[in-house]
Formats: sequence, structure tokens, C-alpha cells
Amino acid sequence: MDQDKRSDLSKLVEIDRMVHEPARLAIMALLYVIESADFTFLMNQTGLSWGNLSTHMSKLEEAGYIEVEKSFKGRRPNTNLRLTQAGRTAFQEYRRSMKQMLDNLPA
Amino acid sequence: MLNTVDLKQIERKAYRSTYEDGLWDICIGVIVSAMAIFVHYPESGYSAINVIAFLIAFSVGDGLLIAGKKYITQPRMGQVRFGPVRQRKIKTLAIILGVIVFMQVILVGLTAIGWPNPALGETLLGDYDLERLLVASVGFLFVGIPMIVIAFINDFPRGYYIGVLMAMAVFLMILTNQPIYAIACGGLILVPGIVLFIRFLKKYPISRGDEINGSR
Repeated sequence: MDQDKRSDLSKLVEIDRMVHEPARLAIMALLYVIESADFTFLMNQTGLSWGNLSTHMSKLEEAGYIEVEKSFKGRRPNTNLRLTQAGRTAFQEYRRSMKQMLDNLPA
Repeated sequence: MLNTVDLKQIERKAYRSTYEDGLWDICIGVIVSAMAIFVHYPESGYSAINVIAFLIAFSVGDGLLIAGKKYITQPRMGQVRFGPVRQRKIKTLAIILGVIVFMQVILVGLTAIGWPNPALGETLLGDYDLERLLVASVGFLFVGIPMIVIAFINDFPRGYYIGVLMAMAVFLMILTNQPIYAIACGGLILVPGIVLFIRFLKKYPISRGDEINGSR
């Protein structure tokens, strides 16, 4: 019995923290449903500040979950973001495990 | 937590936000108002000037949309590319509109064939008023159906309102031969567009020079 409980709790501990953080979850959820977006669009949609989004963007990029492409549009810099396959899989996995866990909670 | 997060809703909200600028409303409003030029009969007589004036007004409406999206909306709101589902919907819409336009061309062609033969119309419908009502109704459907299809497939709720007003403008314009209806309907599309545009400008201020699009 204790062993069962421990294994259930260990699943909770194994939740991907990179995705679990609310700001990153918002970024990944948005990028999951679209193909790509630039920094300004993500900032407007998520409501995150420039600095906040920039920090989380770097973390997600380091984890290999998003691909960041910097370019110029005319004379204006443009930062485009898209979810990588690894990011897509991580988000699906996170979603599946969270749903499973919450569904199993007693009413 | 994710039980309350609806991914479809997130996508729809992001997609609909691209219409928040009201530029489509402004463009269509200008074009509908400009249709009045078609039924305006100047003292000098109806001429190519009517058509040229309409084309200029049409270009102004289109120009406002293209320039507004490029120089006002994109720098404030950013750019987004939607997923394969939206792209499939756009292709579906293109096919449906193609079929509708094809049917319209056939109908207009048949009407043109009927022109030299007014007796045909008389035989079919009997009197002139009924004939005019029929043409106005066909015009209503010509404009209304494609607009409602566009609004439905493009997930653009205001499109239904715009579609009905556009269709009403055509219907009343043909039926009464008065330019005022096109101007009125165009105004009813244009004014909410301008209100939305002003709200958009307030909601999405331009990024500071040192914080443009993720680069300091």
C-alpha cells in the first residue's frame, strides 16, 4: 500500500518543471496551437513583460523545447519562436500526466 | 490545472485577435459606401467616370487595409503563423468561393443573354417591379452568401453583421436605385471599424525603440 502511494507521488515529482512553470506553460500552450509567432505577438497574448518573456524564452530554448530565430525585417529586428518536436512531445506528455493525475483525484 | 485550459480556445482567441484592429471593417465599409457611385447619375450623365471613381475608392479601401496591417497592426501586435488546421480552412474557403464565383459568372452570363430579349423577362415574371425585386434578391444572395461563408470558415463573428449589411446595401440599391442605402450600410460597417481601430491603438501601444520584438 505504502509502496503504491510512493509510486503515485513519485509521478507527481517527475512532472516536467520546465513546462510546469505558469509563464512557460502559457508560452508552450500558445506555441503548441500555432505554427510560429514573433516575440511581440507572444508578449501580447501571454501578458508577460518583455524581461519575463525573454528569460523564459531563453530557458525553453536551452531545454531544446523552442527554436528561436533572430532576423531583420527591414531595419527592425525580429525574433521568431516555434515549438520544436521535443517541445511538442514534452507538452503532450505534461498534459497527459497532469490530466491523468487530476482525473484520478477523489471528488 | 490543464482541465480548465482549452487549447482550442487559446488558438481561437489568438486567431480572432488578428481582427481586433478593425481594418477589415474599415476597408469593407469604404468599399460598400463607394458602391453608391454606381447608382449615382450625375447631370452630365452616367459615364466611365462613375466606374473610375469606384475603382479609386476601392483602391483606397484596399490600400488602407494593406498599409494598416503592415505599418500599424504588425509592429504593435506582432506576427503569427497559424497551424495546418487554419491553413486547410483557408484552402477550403478558396475552393468554396471559387465554386460560388463560377456559379455567379454563369448566372450573370445568362442574364446578359436575356438582356437583348426583354420579352423573355416579361414572359417569366410578368411585370417590371417583380423583375426588379428578383434582381435585387439575386444581388442580395450574391453578396450575402459568400460573406457569410467567409465569416463562418474564417471564424470572424463580425463578418455576419458585415455580410448582412453588404447584402442589404446591394438589395436596396438595386431596388430603389438610390445611393443613400449603400452609404448608410457602409457607414454602419465603417463606424464600428473606426471605434475598434482606436481601441486597438490604445490596447497595443508601439514597442519602445530598445525593446522591439525581443531584441535590445
